[in-house]
Amino acid sequence: MKRALKFIFWLGVAIAGAGALGAIALHRGEPLNATWFVVAAVCCYMVAYRFYSAFIAARLLALDDTRATPAEIHDDGRDFVPTNKWVLFGHHFAAIAGPGPLIGPTLAAQFGYLPGTLWLIAGAALAGCVQDFIILFCSIRRDGKTLGQMAREEVSARGGLIAQLAVLAIMVILLAVVALVVVNALKSSPWATFTLAMTIPIALLLGVYLRFVRPGRVLEASLFGVALVLFAVVAGQWVAVSPSWSRAFTFGGVSLVFVIIAYGFAAAVLPVWLLLAPRDYLSAFIKTGAIFSLAAGILLVRPQMMMPPLTRFIDGTGPVFAGKIFPFCFITIACGAISGFHSLISSGTTPKMILRESHSRLIGYGAMLLESFVGVMAMVAACAMPPGVYFAINSPSSIVGSTAESVAATISGWGYHLDAQTMTNLAHSVGEQTLLNRAGGAPSLAVGMAQIFSNTIGGERLLSIWYHFAIMFEALFILTVLDAGTRVGRFMVQELGGRVWKPLGRTGWMPGILLSSAIIVGTWGYFLYQGVVDPLGGINSLWPLFGIANQLLATVALVVATSILLKMKRLRWIWVTLVPTAWLVAVTMTASYQKIFAPNPDLGFLSKANSLAAQIAAGQIPVAKIAETQRLIFNQRLDAVVTATLALMILVLLVEAVAQWYSILSRRREPVLHEAPYVATQWAPGFTGVAHGDD
Amino acid sequence: MHRAAKFAKRSLRRFWRGLREWCGDAAYERYLHARGRQDGEQRTLSAEEFYVEQINRRYSRPNRCC
Repeated sequence: MKRALKFIFWLGVAIAGAGALGAIALHRGEPLNATWFVVAAVCCYMVAYRFYSAFIAARLLALDDTRATPAEIHDDGRDFVPTNKWVLFGHHFAAIAGPGPLIGPTLAAQFGYLPGTLWLIAGAALAGCVQDFIILFCSIRRDGKTLGQMAREEVSARGGLIAQLAVLAIMVILLAVVALVVVNALKSSPWATFTLAMTIPIALLLGVYLRFVRPGRVLEASLFGVALVLFAVVAGQWVAVSPSWSRAFTFGGVSLVFVIIAYGFAAAVLPVWLLLAPRDYLSAFIKTGAIFSLAAGILLVRPQMMMPPLTRFIDGTGPVFAGKIFPFCFITIACGAISGFHSLISSGTTPKMILRESHSRLIGYGAMLLESFVGVMAMVAACAMPPGVYFAINSPSSIVGSTAESVAATISGWGYHLDAQTMTNLAHSVGEQTLLNRAGGAPSLAVGMAQIFSNTIGGERLLSIWYHFAIMFEALFILTVLDAGTRVGRFMVQELGGRVWKPLGRTGWMPGILLSSAIIVGTWGYFLYQGVVDPLGGINSLWPLFGIANQLLATVALVVATSILLKMKRLRWIWVTLVPTAWLVAVTMTASYQKIFAPNPDLGFLSKANSLAAQIAAGQIPVAKIAETQRLIFNQRLDAVVTATLALMILVLLVEAVAQWYSILSRRREPVLHEAPYVATQWAPGFTGVAHGDD
Repeated sequence: MHRAAKFAKRSLRRFWRGLREWCGDAAYERYLHARGRQDGEQRTLSAEEFYVEQINRRYSRPNRCC
């Protein structure tokens, strides 16, 4: 009887999910309600978790709870800490949920809501969650080793070096692109700039409190800090209306670039306790609160989707970024469906804290499903606004013009009605001078979120407060990624540089710290500057570059996972990692090829460089702009070289891995697994880790 | 009624404990607990030393994602 009820329940969930997906895919005409998206996503996630992750856990990985995890074996209260699975789920989710799943789907909304939503759900269930889960398992079985170490041991020494270089490359591009998103959100906005600037003294205050007054009392300090940040959001409106204060906090794009570069350098060099850590605490609380509030807001408001399922830009002529659905929808969505960066977390802190092998299913697979849900919510928020407004915010001035009238005329000409007054009124109601040409996804997501929040609490009156709360939330945790990433990048530069020149490898040597920080900040700062001065808005070049780098890192992780599974003699189920690997190789290689060689100058780096060079040769560029144009040509060629290098690294790794797989399958080489030896757990079956708590 | 109150109290306590664990508030207590079970010559760190050492380690490897 119980079995029959279970069957009926899961059949019901599957039918509801399929029905909702069908409605999303086939509905035409009247706007669709966002509830369909929530139902489709939740039902698909439930089915994927219940069946697919259980299959992977039982058949592919054969999780073994009698085996002691690294947390039990090395329990030192520092790195190796046995942690309750729900607490660790929260830790892991807070670590993997960055700006990617919010910004990627917002940008991909230029194709309409359908392709992005389908990929967010299917990509997470079949690829992203699989990668996170299997890499977490592999790291647990290897005493918490990192992806680079596993690539070195299980694939080849060169594989380890490639993984390390790929991580450094993705880090640089990631930091540049997220900084660009912040610049585009803050430029000419004294309210947003003031609010974000205030988070620095608030973080410093918290840092001093946590170090000297009440060491380690994160909860009370963070709650106090969050209250101050919320006050700063409200106070920003007074700054915006005061002529002198407003002038002090109004910056153009290039000025913001230098401010952010200086901030990144300071955060990498200053003691962690002073700025970086307290800022991260603030960000974690606000991020978690805002994400859950957005989910609750969508469920309460149930907005209508104003964006069509497919826009005319599926042909690759989109104003936000150029390129067709395949491969650029997948490259743009990136983290919401599968993120290579997650494999660093899954082989970093989490495997050292996991209590039982079976918990890796909830933490590895489950947390990624939640991240995908964040991506679906971002898609809903972006598509709930009229398409004309979406394109007006996200299109660069070189395509749509810079006045409300020209923007409205161009976008209406595309078939998405927009009148100039709508944008002026919207900017006024969110407390901004203009919302035009704010490429990057953050402002349009903030408008979407503010509309959902204000329909829940406060109405039109609070729209400007909600908008700036959303901007603060996005910018705060983007800057947290920026400062934490810069610091980690500094360590990577020191580690790699230390191989060439020993003193640079010493992490406590101040000249080495300053030099390596300057190298990493200078590198992402250069890409950031390049993005800000790019006439196409920067996002058009940098976001695909980031997506390619991220998906290539995911390819590295899946190649490592496939090698390990082959050595574990799981040939029958090898398609679980091999199919997503093949898909990612197809997507990233196609995207890399098109970004380098496509004849359309809006898409291909080289054709853009050639077209600019031809314009100079034909005398079409004014003399005063020739130097600037030559810089643009250099930047396009540099982007082409970076893309080609990333693609080449992955091809080398693939060749090495395929050769290894062939020798294992043809029995030319005996597979050697580098697992830690089996140690039986000493914990009782019901032990949940709470005995280590403070009660 | 009494059972419901007891259940609510227990749930709240669990939530509070989980929140402290999640945000790192209970990290030093965990460390002391782990130290108590280890025998070794190493000196036990003070709360301030532990806090600084812990965040220095945490922020020297990727701990925030894109």
